[in-house]
Amino acid sequence: MDEEPERAKRWEGGYERTWEVLKEDESGSLKATVDDILFQAKRKRYMFEGHGQVRLGMMRHLFVIIDSSRSMEDQDLKPNRLTSTLKLMEFFVEEYFDQNPISQIGIITTKNKRAEKLTDLAGNPKKHIAALKKAVDGTCVGEPSLYNSLNVAMQTLKHMPAHTSKEILVIFSSLTTCDPANIYELIKTLNALKIRVSVIGLSAEVRVCTILTRETGGSYNVILDESHFKELLMLHVKPPPASSSSECSLIRMGFPQHVIASISDQDAKPSFSMSHLDSTSEPGLTLGGYFCPQCRAKYTELPVECKVCGLTLVSAPHLARSFHHLFPLEAFQETPLEEYEGERFCEACQGELKDKSIFTCQACKKVFCVECDLFIHDTLHCCPGCMQTDRTS
Amino acid sequence: MKLNIEGLLVYFPYDYIYPEQYSYMLELKRTLDAKGHGVLEMPSGTGKTISLLSLIVAYQKAYPLEVTKLVYCSRTVPEIEKVVEELRKLMDYYAKQTGVKNDFLALALSSRKNLCIHPEVSSLRFGKEVDGKCHSLTASYIRAQHHSNPCQPVCQFFEEFDAVGRQVPIPPGIFNLDDLKDFGRRKGWCPYFLARYAILHANIVVYSYHYLLDPKIADLVSKELAKKSVVVFDEAHNIDNVCIDSMSVNITRRTLDRCQTNVETLQNTISRIKETDAAKLREEYMRLVEGLKEANVARETDIYLSNPVLPDEILQEAVPGSIRTAEHFVGFIKRFLEYLKARLRIHHVVQESAPQFLKDIYEKVCIDRKPLRFCAERLRSLLRTLEIADIADFSAITLISHFATLVSTYSKGNLYDYDFHQKTPTIANPVLHFSCMDPSIAIKPVFGRFQSVIITSGTLSPLDIYPRILDFRPVTMASFTMTLARTCLCPLIVGRGNDQVAMTSKFETREDFAVIRNYGNLLLEMSAIVPDGIVAFFTSYIYMENIVASWYEQGILENIQRNKLIFIETQDAAETSMALEKYQEACENGRGAILLSVARGKVSEGIDFVHHFGRAVIMFGVPYVYTQSRILKARLEYLRDQFQIRENDFLTFDAMRHAAQCVGRAIRGKTDYGLMIFADKRYARADKRGKLPRWIQEHLTDGSLNLTIDETVQLSKHFLRQMAQPFRREDQLGLSLLTLEQLQSEDMLQKIAQIAQQA
Repeated sequence: MDEEPERAKRWEGGYERTWEVLKEDESGSLKATVDDILFQAKRKRYMFEGHGQVRLGMMRHLFVIIDSSRSMEDQDLKPNRLTSTLKLMEFFVEEYFDQNPISQIGIITTKNKRAEKLTDLAGNPKKHIAALKKAVDGTCVGEPSLYNSLNVAMQTLKHMPAHTSKEILVIFSSLTTCDPANIYELIKTLNALKIRVSVIGLSAEVRVCTILTRETGGSYNVILDESHFKELLMLHVKPPPASSSSECSLIRMGFPQHVIASISDQDAKPSFSMSHLDSTSEPGLTLGGYFCPQCRAKYTELPVECKVCGLTLVSAPHLARSFHHLFPLEAFQETPLEEYEGERFCEACQGELKDKSIFTCQACKKVFCVECDLFIHDTLHCCPGCMQTDRTS
Repeated sequence: MKLNIEGLLVYFPYDYIYPEQYSYMLELKRTLDAKGHGVLEMPSGTGKTISLLSLIVAYQKAYPLEVTKLVYCSRTVPEIEKVVEELRKLMDYYAKQTGVKNDFLALALSSRKNLCIHPEVSSLRFGKEVDGKCHSLTASYIRAQHHSNPCQPVCQFFEEFDAVGRQVPIPPGIFNLDDLKDFGRRKGWCPYFLARYAILHANIVVYSYHYLLDPKIADLVSKELAKKSVVVFDEAHNIDNVCIDSMSVNITRRTLDRCQTNVETLQNTISRIKETDAAKLREEYMRLVEGLKEANVARETDIYLSNPVLPDEILQEAVPGSIRTAEHFVGFIKRFLEYLKARLRIHHVVQESAPQFLKDIYEKVCIDRKPLRFCAERLRSLLRTLEIADIADFSAITLISHFATLVSTYSKGNLYDYDFHQKTPTIANPVLHFSCMDPSIAIKPVFGRFQSVIITSGTLSPLDIYPRILDFRPVTMASFTMTLARTCLCPLIVGRGNDQVAMTSKFETREDFAVIRNYGNLLLEMSAIVPDGIVAFFTSYIYMENIVASWYEQGILENIQRNKLIFIETQDAAETSMALEKYQEACENGRGAILLSVARGKVSEGIDFVHHFGRAVIMFGVPYVYTQSRILKARLEYLRDQFQIRENDFLTFDAMRHAAQCVGRAIRGKTDYGLMIFADKRYARADKRGKLPRWIQEHLTDGSLNLTIDETVQLSKHFLRQMAQPFRREDQLGLSLLTLEQLQSEDMLQKIAQIAQQA
């Protein structure tokens, strides 16, 4: 196609209408509402979780499917869709393991009508990030295949125990999919296996994704720009509510202690880590490590599933970090600024309250600005106002 | 919810209402109050049907003496069924709210083919066959023969109905076609005749246009409808063409040949009957001497809807002597036939007006005007007397007789045209087109007879032209816009390619290589960014073929196919429906598809592309009608002389209504969204733009005129992403969707007042 090289030049690719966001809207119904909708979506993120005691799927098995088809070369995300996506994915993987320490992730790419597993399900962020870094140099060719990639993910996920949350996240840039069989059959199977599929579209709403997400109970979003993309991706960091039908069971977990042995120690024998047996790149013999309390197999990193006895090995801090998902901070009440009587200072940042609405903690009645409200709910997970009153009382 | 529309209590079966629906009902109420006609334009997908039904039913309940019947005319069977379903919802709501059992009778009527329950007859595939077979089982003399000879087969359903069905009225309720069939099966009555009989006392009748407009059918079905009825023509943007079609006749050599055989059969039957039963023919003769008095009496007392084929003056006269006896009449028809045959032997195109034709026929074969006018009635009477069972065989001669009557009755606004058949330009195969120039002839009795006639559609702009071409005086003309919480339609006018070459389907430049290439690039670029389905419309089949061939040579087609599959509408109906099915499948499973079709074709008129089936519509060129056609030229001339409508105004109006129809296919509701791309620089001109419906024009800003392809791509991308954001009902509430409380607020009522724009 002779159009391609032309389009590659930035100045011919069309102007971006960055000023459109700032456009004042007199009719009061259209453009401004889109921002409003976005703002509400921002808050909805934790409002959604705030509904009392919801069971959460804390042990997650997530496959991320990344479209690497021709359309990923599009330059509407800078420098192009693929690079931008992979960059965000790195961030996502880190954040994911930070918030879900006892969960696992795997990455699949699809191009040229095929699906390829980039990394298998594993609980170690390093390996995934390395794989993602490497993938940047890959070429984007052909069409993606939604069917094939979902199928690959399903083959692994269907063997996962029923008490875990099985999820697939598709990052879909193309508007078409090239499938070898009827995808609606596959959707039915996914639904039966209770695998939740969510999609983030990079270009526009595609019907088959709408159906796919609706049937399997996932979410479907289309990005507006890069920052919106990041927000949407971050939505998937929090564990989703578990479906009520998923079975409930006690799981055995091992809490291995880290044994540090020095060379000077006479009893210390260097040994292989079980997780690195098959890889050649890592250094083989080490002294210390985590030893499975059940079978004494050694691992250098946690969390991991013991290769020998199948016990889930975690450390206590991991579990503690997941704790806040179970008891999330209540959503703050939103009130318009005009109705608020009192000093107009945010309790957290001490800045002046200038936005059109303020947020009040239901417990301690302290007020906060939008930014702090987000920060408290996203990062702190506890209200600074309440902490203060706890201490003083 | 219960609404108060200027003092009228209206039950509305939904909890929410669109502001424009409220406004629409207001206008409708005023029209009914004034007992006049109305022209109302409201975009599709905003609940036109339910607003119409709610208001008119409420009106009927409140003033049972003012409005006795609602006659709702729609175009296709699925549309009829949809209307009945809405009505059912409304009636259920009434029953629930008032606690009184519904005492309304509403029913749908369709052809025998859709209603027949006779096991043999209903298995026939074509409507004509069903009609013919049905007639051969139910005609009065067949049944008389059955009395004497029980072996003669009759339809037991009809017999049963005829025996008891008329005495026992059909119970109140809502009957769609299937309900009628069920009811018929239960009782053992023929649903078709039951429905035809029941429309006389039904409160609401839903049927096709033709039952009112086509004189041949209207006479049978609708002539006894009460004067105090409200008639609604839904999807009426093409009503003038329907009127014209119902009054036009095309005659080929084949028709004449078949007519010839018909005449021979008639002759044989007559001579046979003469030997056996001469009294019968004499009886008929006497009846004809009496004249058509009966019909005349009926018309004077205003019981019948007058048949435009047979104007009042004729009824007062007796059938002229020259065609009273059967043999004379057959001889007369024969002569007429020979004359037509002679005329069709010509090798050049001739165009004549009615008086010219009559003069010529008088000079050549001495046929007077008067007997010609009685031709249709006379033939019907003869067929009845001769007890010919299968009238389907006689369609050719019936056609000729209709032609004779029409030609002699309406000297104004008609035209004959001997034309060569288009498919075989080398072989002389002339066709006689008898075309009616004046749509008001067919619709005049409707306007004259009924108290209120409402013409409504999604695209009726410019409103003032309809009253002019249909020759009536409406009391209300209004256009309603769509109130939207988000701009879900995005009309763009693409005038130039990336190389700045103007894009247009203008005749002089349509073969231009650059134009074709730019059209191709536009489709290619759009196929890469629009999800699921794209529908592209061309101005004609030939133009589409040329362009697609050229795209193939340039390799554009191949590139497009990398993004989406391509389907093409053809003139073959079976092929097209196959293509359409596959197109929808491709949209459904994520492959994505493009449907190339033609404005004025089947796809552009009847098929909706909801949601993902049409995310973008591209209109390549302005769909002007083929202006070199003689019939069109004559019609334009007629319009200019009679109604002072300039040729250009009419042509643009016609082109724009079709363009609006095409692009309107994509938006079928407020949750739907779609791009509307007008790919021709001529759309940007004020005279074209101004003729688009107001609900499209509103969103056509200066920024979206005369764009280049890459600007279009940028705007579309932006639009599609905006639209893909989650959209919930709460976002609509208060803006484009109202609860009862919101509706009653003062400022909302003010806003609503602005929705309707009086023309």
